[in-house]
Amino acid sequence: MPADDAIIALIQDGRAGEAFERLMPAYRRRVFGLAYSLLRDRGAAEDVAQEVFVKLWQALPRFDGRAQLSTWIYAITRNAAISAMRKRRRTLSMSDPAVQDEVESRGVVPVAEPEDAALWRQVEALPDKQRQAITLYYQEQRQVEEVAAMMGLPANTVKTHLHRARASLAAALRSAGVEGV
Amino acid sequence: MNSEDRLRRLFGSLDARPGFEERVMQRVAALAAAPRQDLRTQFERRRALLRRRLRREAWMNSITVLGIGACAGALVWRYASEIQQFAMNSLQPVDSNLLIGGTIAALGAALWFVIRRLQSGR
Repeated sequence: MPADDAIIALIQDGRAGEAFERLMPAYRRRVFGLAYSLLRDRGAAEDVAQEVFVKLWQALPRFDGRAQLSTWIYAITRNAAISAMRKRRRTLSMSDPAVQDEVESRGVVPVAEPEDAALWRQVEALPDKQRQAITLYYQEQRQVEEVAAMMGLPANTVKTHLHRARASLAAALRSAGVEGV
Repeated sequence: MNSEDRLRRLFGSLDARPGFEERVMQRVAALAAAPRQDLRTQFERRRALLRRRLRREAWMNSITVLGIGACAGALVWRYASEIQQFAMNSLQPVDSNLLIGGTIAALGAALWFVIRRLQSGR
């Protein structure tokens, strides 16, 4: 990726601050999308995304370029999101009424039309990996290879998840009587 | 509209709230200032500990001095007649001018010691 090359050149030149200023707008949506696809909560995803960028700011001067910049950032994001999930599981119990309220009022993508709401519910009902693949693929119409890098999975596995997710969604929407499927 | 377009529309808007970058930069700035803040906090904590220790020592010293003084006073009170007798006997051969001079010197030394203590205690 050309943007990554410019960022890496700045890091190697000892200008980590400038590199960070370029990196944040380039990766903001990807880091947030990946965190959201794992956490399914906008607020929590934003917290994790902020934490990831703070970590990147601290670690960027030590980035040695052995791994791809994007691979490194996605790994940090996945680890931060998984830690956040564990923390949440430790502090909350599903039998707690506050947790049930949170699940019900979870920050979802704003849906303007009833068909979108139906589609949203079906996406939410998909298995985790399929839902994650669909979210990341359609967030920015990404290449399957990039979604695979974000999820840390082989591209063929992601293709399978996407194929199955699309089939499930089409079937569910057809049975729900949503047009244009 | 087919489901592909719907999915694109549904997830296309998925992004952090506006001002995300400013919020990150604020956290970064806070983090950069943290070591200086840590040093200041550490210094304040050590100073407070030292103050507390010195205050405790000053109290202990005062209690010790008062205790010794009270014991000495009690002894003098208890053996007043014996001490008077002893002093009269031992000081009889001494010149009265020398006695007065010695007493004034002892009082002056005690006063000097007390003033020094008060000045250093400020």
